[in-house]
Amino acid sequence: MPTQPITKNKNFNARQVKRIFVRRLGIVIWVSFLVAAVQSMVFFALFDPVYLWQLSSWHIDISYWQGYAMGFACFWAFLFAAGYVIGIVMALPRAQLAKRIGTK
Amino acid sequence: MSTQERETIELNLYQAHKKIYPREVKGRFQFKRKLAVVVLLGLFYLVPWLQMGGEQAILFDLPNRRFHILGLILWPQDFIFLALLLIIAAFSLFFFTALAGRLWCGYACPQTVWTEVFIWMEQLTEGGRNQRMKLDQAPWTWNKFRKKTSKQILWVTFALWTGFTFVGFFTPIRELANHIWIWQLGPWEMFWLFFYSFATYGNAGFLREQVCLYMCPYARFQSAMFDKDSLIISYDEQRGEPRMRGKKRRTENNPGDCIDCTLCVQVCPTGIDIRDGLQYECIACAACIDACDEVMEKSGMPKGLIRYTTEHSLSGKPSRILRPRVILYALVLFGLITGFVTAFMMRSPISINVLHDRNTFYRMVDSNTIENVYTLKIMNKGRETAQYQLSASGLPELSVVTDVDSDMLQAEPGQLISVPIKIRAPKKIANQRIHNILLSVMSGQHKNSEEVKYFGYKK
Repeated sequence: MPTQPITKNKNFNARQVKRIFVRRLGIVIWVSFLVAAVQSMVFFALFDPVYLWQLSSWHIDISYWQGYAMGFACFWAFLFAAGYVIGIVMALPRAQLAKRIGTK
Repeated sequence: MSTQERETIELNLYQAHKKIYPREVKGRFQFKRKLAVVVLLGLFYLVPWLQMGGEQAILFDLPNRRFHILGLILWPQDFIFLALLLIIAAFSLFFFTALAGRLWCGYACPQTVWTEVFIWMEQLTEGGRNQRMKLDQAPWTWNKFRKKTSKQILWVTFALWTGFTFVGFFTPIRELANHIWIWQLGPWEMFWLFFYSFATYGNAGFLREQVCLYMCPYARFQSAMFDKDSLIISYDEQRGEPRMRGKKRRTENNPGDCIDCTLCVQVCPTGIDIRDGLQYECIACAACIDACDEVMEKSGMPKGLIRYTTEHSLSGKPSRILRPRVILYALVLFGLITGFVTAFMMRSPISINVLHDRNTFYRMVDSNTIENVYTLKIMNKGRETAQYQLSASGLPELSVVTDVDSDMLQAEPGQLISVPIKIRAPKKIANQRIHNILLSVMSGQHKNSEEVKYFGYKK
């Protein structure tokens, strides 16, 4: 589990730790979904996905639906990645935390 | 907060979810909520079927990048209106929250509205709160199977219909119905239909109050809009306490008005006890008000032990409606709405953009006349193919000349055309370094103008 709960309580059992992880994962998925929705709306109101793909390095012809869907999926994936990494980095390493508590 | 307390709170946060069985309740606020459900869902399910002038009245046609709204067509260039509309929606939310608390959550939020319907279906098939609790604990029998199956059938049908209607806002709903009838759905129609159905089913059938507690961003920041004069649902602690019931109530002298029947807890869709004070879980659905009012009436005490009130009036201070924050929100909202309406009224079906030639300021046409060269871009935001006439004003004897055929000055709905144009003027009149002139594009009775720079003949 990359994002273990920061808490002085050492009595979390494996099931609870798993639940905490799943809940945090759910939060990251949900928030990135919301933001990706808003981002797609603004982005595709300003830029035409079909035209963008023709301009891209691959010169691909796609339909509007494919363009919107790929854009949304990309936004979601990248926002999820950002949130996930932020989650890992924000959860301080256990060793450091333990030292702090010990030297009170 | 002691460590012990913090540990219990953390544990509570990560506990497995216990299902909440809200008790059915009737009353004046529940009547209003049901009315809101009927009106809002009625609008949602009926609006895509409205026709106007042979086409769907409200259709967000994403593949063709145009929105049809009651006979109007909005193009991506009109995105500013959508953005303004969203900002207006956000500020109305702030305004009404500051004024009257979580009205949105209790009455209008889709999560609340669909959950109401799903709970109603649950009651229809499985019975009231106690019956539902018994049924869930009982072993699987034929009767339980029958009840659960009929509930699922109702839920799934309703969810699928919801998904279908949702897709009907983005693709013509009559064609969609036809596609479903012959079972030839496109991949995207199929995906969105089932995705939205699944979302409705999951959110309204299973997640319910958890969406409000854990997923909703508004629930987390709404307290920022609150002050002590905002309308909240609250239990009158001074009047209700000490709460007691039954025998104790009869023997004790001076009991509080709360008879501790716990009905307010049983009806709560988020499973909180309103008597513990204001909590972020409270979605202000007013179910506890209706439940408590009924009990108060039966036990011969005045209504309103739980009521809509403000923190100030609870503590005996006067409540004000007009506060700086309310006035500020109202002013911003008023400004935005005025701006939106004005901009929308002034919206022209001709959108123009003029670029001056970068290489030369002006050219000599003959010994008396000069010309400036521009690239004119016109987008037809109207509903019909349009033919454009050009004219220029701001200086006497200006003339607009194009070398292109007149059918190059014609645009289909949504088409963007780009035309090189020249504006000619007598040398003697255009004798300043820069003149500001007005270029007008006309089509029928529609007209749009843009101010452009004109470089004159000056030695």
